[in-house]
Amino acid sequence: MTPAWKRRLAFTRMGRWYIALTIGIGLAATNTGNNLLFLVLGLLLASIIVSGILSEQTLRGVHVERRLPAVATAGQPALIGLRARNGKKRAPSFSLEIRERGGDVAGHGFLVLLPARESGEVAYRFVPQRRGLHRFRQLEVATRAPFGLFEKSRPLDVPGEIIVFPRVVLAPRLSAQSLARAGEQPEDRIGLGLEVHSLRDHRPGEDARSIHWKSTARAGRLIAVDREQERRKRICVVLDHRTLRGDALERAVELAAAFVVRELDGGAEVSLAVAGQFLAAGSGEAQRCAALRLLALLEEKGADTASPRPEAEAAVIEVHG
Amino acid sequence: MKSPGARGPTLVQAQRWAGTLTAFSAFAACAVSGEMGAVMVALFPVAVVGASIPGSGFHGRVQWAWTLLLGGALLVFAAQVFAGQVDVVLAAALFAELLCIHRLWHRRTGRDEVLLLLLSLLLLCAGAALAAELAFGFAFLAFAISGTWALALTHLRSAIEAGRGPAGSAALLSSRRIATPALLGGLAGLSMAGIAGAAVVFVAFPRVSIGGLRRASRHAPVAGLGDRVDLSRHGTVADDPRVVLRVRLDPEPRGGRRDLGMHWRARALSQWTGQGWKSQPGGALPVVRLPQRGRERPPVLLGADIEVVGLFADGVVLTPEGWPLSVDFRRPGSPRPPAQRLYRNFPGDLFYQPVDGSDLRYFVAVDRDEPELRALRGRGARYPQWLAADLEVPSTLDARVRALAQRLGGGKDPADAAAAIESWLGTALRYTRDLPGEVADPIADFLFVRRAGHCELFSTAMVLMLRALGIPARNVTGYFGGRRTDAGYYAVRAGDAHSWVEVYFPGAGFVRLDPTPASARGSTQEGLRARAILFWDGLQQRWRAFVVDYDLITQARAMRRLAQLVEETGRRLAGKDNAPAGRARLAATALAVVLVGALATVLVRRRARLRKRGGELALTADQERALRLWRAARVLLRRAGIEVAPATTPRELARRVPVAGEVAVIHAEARWGVGTLPASTARAALRRLRTALRERVATDRAA
Repeated sequence: MTPAWKRRLAFTRMGRWYIALTIGIGLAATNTGNNLLFLVLGLLLASIIVSGILSEQTLRGVHVERRLPAVATAGQPALIGLRARNGKKRAPSFSLEIRERGGDVAGHGFLVLLPARESGEVAYRFVPQRRGLHRFRQLEVATRAPFGLFEKSRPLDVPGEIIVFPRVVLAPRLSAQSLARAGEQPEDRIGLGLEVHSLRDHRPGEDARSIHWKSTARAGRLIAVDREQERRKRICVVLDHRTLRGDALERAVELAAAFVVRELDGGAEVSLAVAGQFLAAGSGEAQRCAALRLLALLEEKGADTASPRPEAEAAVIEVHG
Repeated sequence: MKSPGARGPTLVQAQRWAGTLTAFSAFAACAVSGEMGAVMVALFPVAVVGASIPGSGFHGRVQWAWTLLLGGALLVFAAQVFAGQVDVVLAAALFAELLCIHRLWHRRTGRDEVLLLLLSLLLLCAGAALAAELAFGFAFLAFAISGTWALALTHLRSAIEAGRGPAGSAALLSSRRIATPALLGGLAGLSMAGIAGAAVVFVAFPRVSIGGLRRASRHAPVAGLGDRVDLSRHGTVADDPRVVLRVRLDPEPRGGRRDLGMHWRARALSQWTGQGWKSQPGGALPVVRLPQRGRERPPVLLGADIEVVGLFADGVVLTPEGWPLSVDFRRPGSPRPPAQRLYRNFPGDLFYQPVDGSDLRYFVAVDRDEPELRALRGRGARYPQWLAADLEVPSTLDARVRALAQRLGGGKDPADAAAAIESWLGTALRYTRDLPGEVADPIADFLFVRRAGHCELFSTAMVLMLRALGIPARNVTGYFGGRRTDAGYYAVRAGDAHSWVEVYFPGAGFVRLDPTPASARGSTQEGLRARAILFWDGLQQRWRAFVVDYDLITQARAMRRLAQLVEETGRRLAGKDNAPAGRARLAATALAVVLVGALATVLVRRRARLRKRGGELALTADQERALRLWRAARVLLRRAGIEVAPATTPRELARRVPVAGEVAVIHAEARWGVGTLPASTARAALRRLRTALRERVATDRAA
């Protein structure tokens, strides 16, 4: 827990020159006893004091929070929002820089003016270079106001984390062997597929599109057709990463993610089997996020970890490093 | 890009203007010293105007020419310094001016602006070393305000450029909604805070001077009262309103008179040249102690703290009316020995050396008790030999002058003769500032043709007439006057230059007589210019007193005074009735009121803030009563020998000490529940607890 009073002070380049000149003028004034030099010295020292007071006033009462994006993918830019609120009654805050400190991510935003009792938001562009968990620890509110001589900053504990999905790569085309069990499979029950299951009398109020016109013409009464229920294509992406290390693991994870995304986009139900973990088949955005999150957090495993267990009724796409 | 509906400068424009103004203020601080030379003074404004019109297109161009120019200038200045032609500080100021001009013509980035500000600061420092005038103070104020603008706007510009990048910052930098009058006004207010802080630092910073590399004195003697008077000049006597002397008298004249009307003696001129006067030949000898007046009565002392303005300091010590007793060049309270030494010539004129052209301050004590003419009667006409020069009558003296002298004072006692001549001149002739021009005999012309003239003619006529009667007399030059200023001193102006007569009486020495009509003596300047000059001089004097001459002793006094004020305030707050009188008492009371008011405001605001912050945590009356009950119960338990740790809750205590159970329940219901706790219930519970504890203690003892 960072105490509220904690501040960090650093000289800017101009501030270093300013201090050097102040010391020089102080020495000259002391040497000569020239009161006008003392007056100049007084102005320089007073400016330092005023600068210190105003920068403190600028930092005080400013609260910040971080707004993380829902999804971030390695290698692709993401915007991270920084929202600042000036809780002071009257005094505005000038020249505020809000920056990440101490976490896995570096970035900053700049606010020229934050009026009293108002909020402002800035965002910085973050391009994650790796998949996995990225932690945020602190946000530092810094200002060089009013003169740019010093930089005073105030660290604030604003923890957060974001899971960065694996880098997007193009999934390779699958061979015929790989697709052996792929495709929609008819089931022996009535459903909404394409294959004909049985014919029967049309019931009043039933959808006219279910009428089998040829049989109706033959029978002289309205005959409806029942179609067979078709099961969606089921794909199980299998990644045995127990022997994979470093770049090989990363490549395999990226490839697995690419298969998952492509198959989900193709309408299939996708399950994911990795060493020690299994994600049951599913479809849609929720399944995509779950699969990518699992892959994002995948770590190197030892040989003692259980091998992946592919789903029995699904076509298997096995990813190798 | 113009923001619709917004007026005023863009951020970049405002920042550049502020930078230029800062550089100009720093230059002005140097220029007011009058040491930079006309060319260099004229160069800067021209360069500023030039930089604002075509200068922006010069960035990065013909850089070699600038390098050549600046390098050459540096070499020239260095050579002049080594040759002793130019003071090193002046050379540095001139070079800094050129660097500033260069930067003004090459401004594009924020870094250029920062460099310009740093150079301006150097120029200001050079100005501080070159000038001690009040004008520097105004330039300093302008620098403080414009420098604050420039620093803040430059920072804002740099921060926007760095924070948003070139593309993102363009709109903001060209926005007219940032450098608004409100922002500039706020920054000006900030600069006032800076100036106030500067004043505090200035007053409090220890005035310990090492005295290493000091700048040499710079002025040469310029003007003043000469050792010669020429009566054949043309034109009109100028009534110059410039201040020559600043005088503080001790004791102060009664009623704080506006016009002092005092003679300030410079020197006596005894030798007639035919067209005027000149001083007697012969040098001056150093004196440690002035000759004392032989007399029976105790002296009537008058002290004059005199400050001679540098332009008019020419080595002559001016003394007020009376017999000079001592001249002290030491600054009051200063441990340093004075740089000046006192000299005296044969006629008794006082001088000092060295003359450095800067302002000089000295203290003259005189015996004001001068004999009246009545009292000088009957002292005879036997004069010592050394007065021969003062008895010399020019051979060319017009016979009519002799005849007039005889008519006015012939056969009379010297005192009466002198009084008669003085009176006749003052009433029969008219005063005019018009000079006679070249006439063969200016005195005859004055007495019998024009019958009007200026003070030198009046005094000369009287001296010559007295000498014609065999009475030693001499012409004396100096000033007559003294106008009280708002700063509390009397200002003697150049237009107060005057001439009068000293007549010798045996046993009394030379006695001052003034034949010029009283209404015509001294300056008659009353116009706006004269008043403005007096006002300016008052400001200048305050500036000198409070800023330029502020030293360790003054600082110690100021600190002591402050400590006294604080002590008095404390005493008054403590109700002790031995407070100081007058303004000090008022100041102490005001300070006390301000302190108490500030404390009360802080407390009230703090309380309001706490209340607001507490909001839902604010306790009801029942809850507060429950809290007090619990605290009282803890005290009783502790007295009964039952130690209660700070973190112990009432219920925990009740489990440990059953007699406290009732209090615990009542407390919990009122403090945390919805129950109420009337005061009577709380008192009864507390009473029962006390009884139970007593019984418990008694039982323990019995056991």
